[in-house]
Order: sequence, then C-alpha cells, then structure tokens
Amino acid sequence: MYGLEAINAANGWAMAYTGAIIVFSGLVVLSFVISQLNKILSFWENLISNFKKNHQSEQTDELQGEDNSVVPHRIPSDIKEAARSYSHLIEDLDQPFELTRLYAISQQKGFPHPHITISNFRQANILVPAGDGLFTWSQP
Amino acid sequence: MELFIQFLTNTGYYLADFRNVIMLFVGFIFIYLGTAKKYEPLLLVPIGFGMLVGNVPFFKGFGLGIYESNSVLHYLYFGVTTGLYPSIVFLGLGAMTDFSSLLARPKLMLLGAAAQMGIFFTLLSALALGFLPKEAASIAIIGGADGPTSIFLTAKLAPHLIGPVAIAAYSYMALIPVIQPPIMRLLTTRKERLIHMSELREVSKKELVIFPVIGMILCCFLAPASIPLLGTFFFGNFMKEGGVTERLVKTARTSIIDIATIFLGFTVGASTQGDVFLTGKSVGIFCLGAIAFSIATASGVIFAKIMNLFLKDKINPLLGAAGVSAVPGSAREVHLVAQQEDPTNYLLMHAMACNSSGVIGSAICAGILWSFLV
Repeated sequence: MYGLEAINAANGWAMAYTGAIIVFSGLVVLSFVISQLNKILSFWENLISNFKKNHQSEQTDELQGEDNSVVPHRIPSDIKEAARSYSHLIEDLDQPFELTRLYAISQQKGFPHPHITISNFRQANILVPAGDGLFTWSQP
Repeated sequence: MELFIQFLTNTGYYLADFRNVIMLFVGFIFIYLGTAKKYEPLLLVPIGFGMLVGNVPFFKGFGLGIYESNSVLHYLYFGVTTGLYPSIVFLGLGAMTDFSSLLARPKLMLLGAAAQMGIFFTLLSALALGFLPKEAASIAIIGGADGPTSIFLTAKLAPHLIGPVAIAAYSYMALIPVIQPPIMRLLTTRKERLIHMSELREVSKKELVIFPVIGMILCCFLAPASIPLLGTFFFGNFMKEGGVTERLVKTARTSIIDIATIFLGFTVGASTQGDVFLTGKSVGIFCLGAIAFSIATASGVIFAKIMNLFLKDKINPLLGAAGVSAVPGSAREVHLVAQQEDPTNYLLMHAMACNSSGVIGSAICAGILWSFLV
C-alpha cells in the first residue's frame, strides 16, 4: 500500500497532528513555567526576607520594650523610680566605683541628663561615699 | 593441501562479495571525513572503523558476526538494541548542558518545538512510501537530528533498521555544514540575518538547579516513554547544577559518555554488514532522512519568522535552524552564518538555547511515537 491510502490505513494523519500538538504544547508549558521561574523564586525570596525582617523587627521591638522599661525618656520625678532604672547599671559595676564610670555608662545607654540624676542620687544618699573618690550604691 | 584449501575458503578474501566491498568503501569515507576533514570525528571515526570491522567477510556459524548470538560484537551490540547506550549518552549530555541561555530567554524553546515538525512530516512521507508504521516512525525521528534518540526509538520499534537509521542520523549530523546553511539563506533575507539579539539576563543558581527537576517532571509526565532518555538527561544536568556531586559529574561528562559513544559508534558501524545493510529500504531511509533533516531546519526558521510577526523584540530567524537537536553542530552553524553577514553578531549562546530545547523536543517526540505504536 502506498500514498494517501497507506497514510490513512496507518492512521498517519492523526498520529502526525496529535504528536505535533503534544510536543508543541509540552514545550510551550515548559517554556511558560521556566519564564515564571525567576518571578516565583524572587517572590519566594521576598516572602522569606520579609518574614525574616518582620521577625527581626519584632525581636528589636521586644528588646526596645525592655530598654524602655530601663531607660526613661526623661528624668523621673521620683528619685526611687530613677534609682530603679539605674539599678541594672550598678549591677555591671564592681562596688565601690568611680562616679565617672557610672556617668559614662549611663550616657552610653542613653539615659537623659545623667549628671543631674547622679547629683540627685548623691544628695539623696543613694550614692554613698566610700573614700578615695569612690562610691557605693545604696538601693532605696 | 586439502587443509590449506579449506583454510583459504574460510578467509575473508574468498568470502568477500561486492556488498562488503561497497560498505568497506563507505567506511573509509567516514574515517576520511572524521580524520582528515574533522567532521564530527567523535562519531564518524568509531562508526567508520566499525563499518570496516563489520564488513570483514567471515564464515557464518563461527559466532563472529554482530548478528550471531554469543559473538563478542553481539554482546557489545546489546547496549544498542536495548537502548542502553543512548540512555547513558543522555546522562553525559545532561551533565554537559548549560541551560542558562534557555532559562534567560524561554521563548526560544518554541523554536526547538517547531523544528520537530520535520519528524511528523517525514512520518507521513515514510508511510506514503510504503514503510510499515513502526519503520516510518523510526525513520521520521532522524528529523530530530539526534543520533542517540534515533537509535533508541529504532531499537524499540524497528530493530532491523538500526544500522541504516543510525548511519543516516549521524551522517546528516556530520553534514550539518553542508545541509543547513543553504536552507537558512534561502528562507531568510539579509536584513533578517543581521538581527542582533538583545543581551541575555543573568540566571540565578537556584533557577539552574530547579529547572532539571521541573523539566523532568513536566516532560516525563507528558511522555513517560521518554523516561530512559530525559530521566537520565535531567539527572545529569541536576548533578551538574547541584554542585555537590562534582566527582560524579566529571565522570558522567567524560568517561561514561566517552565509553558509551565508543561502543555505540563502533557497534552501529559494525551492524552495517553489506548483506543486511545494502537494501532498497536503506536507500529509502537515507533519502527520507535528508528530507526530514531539511524540513526540520526549514520549519524552525519559518516558525521564527512567524514569531517575529508578534514580537516587539525580534529574534534572528537563523536561530530556528538550531532547533534541531544536533548539539552543538547546528548552533555553531547558525552562529557562523550570522557572522558571515555581520562579524559583530554573536548568536552562539542563543542558538545553544534552541539546541538544548531541540534535544528535549526530539526525546519527547520519540516517547510520543513509541507510545503511539507499542
């Protein structure tokens, strides 16, 4: 059998166009997927980096929250309250200590007007002279 | 004296017939083209020498010939008839292929799909010429210009045609510099050949690693019969891009593919025994193979021109010719034709994208044809 008759007998036309459509559609789908691949990846990376950022900022907020409880924005009017906020700084210092060291640390931590607060602590005998220019902390 | 005469009647000189002589001559031509002209030497030299070995006349029944069971050549040929060597070659090919240009410009994959149309046109032509459907499919796959794929499909559908189909496929791959440029020039204008492609974007490592996984799943789910080829192909590529199996990749792209290529070429060459190979069918296969390859080239170029009707950022239609999967021969030829028109036009990387898509396309076609005809 030859010619069109042979093609028809072997179902050739159907094989040819079905095969062509399958291979073409397969590669079209693959090319579409790979064209979106970098977009999907960058979306995913953004998602992860945003999640990480949010997570970090939450942690920072928590830390800042802790600091807020320690570092007042202004000088507390109550000396006891001020002493409480300075107490954790004193824990880092070996007693007795020089006032200059307390001043340096409180300034470094961002306490407002530490010289005034330290002067108030002196007057209230929270900072007690221990001789040789050193002082000890007496928690009120 | 009787013993001596008996010995003489068993020698190749006595047993030779004209078909062996013709095939020995063809073998010499292959070796000459591969060695002196350096046309695809890695393929033509083993095939050519295999032809010489396969066409040494011998006394039948000694278990010497490639078609005689228990012969050494028969055992080596087992890798061809089972589709083992093509699968191994695809593993190495995957480990060598760089998909970054294809990932940077995915629309070039359509040219790889378009170039497969030669396969289906040849399927119809072969049927019309009286070949059986399985034979027609084996001949049609030559249009994919992929030797291992052609051998794989023929081994599955029409094992008696492996020799002519393989020789035709590899011959046309070697003759790319002769066949493709005239078709490219005929179907394109000078203005089109001068089109410069825009710079490819940088592809991330993650894309390169993910692609073989996605590619394997999409293609093998579509045509499961292509698993032996595409499964190993994408596996090789995943190993390459993964970057954690450096030793395996190195072996796959050197020793493994080389061993498979040597035995594949040599045994395919040896399978061209004159009395088996020189038939009317072989002539028909060679003619249809040439048509398949030419149509594949033409359909790629024409499809690129059609795409340009809709694209703002035009593509050079020469790239369509690289949609056949002759890696890297057709990509190199596209680049050279473009360079002849304008030495500043570099199309190689873009053509490699079409080429690698052609490899995938022809393997899918093989899977589809196999599943149609099993």
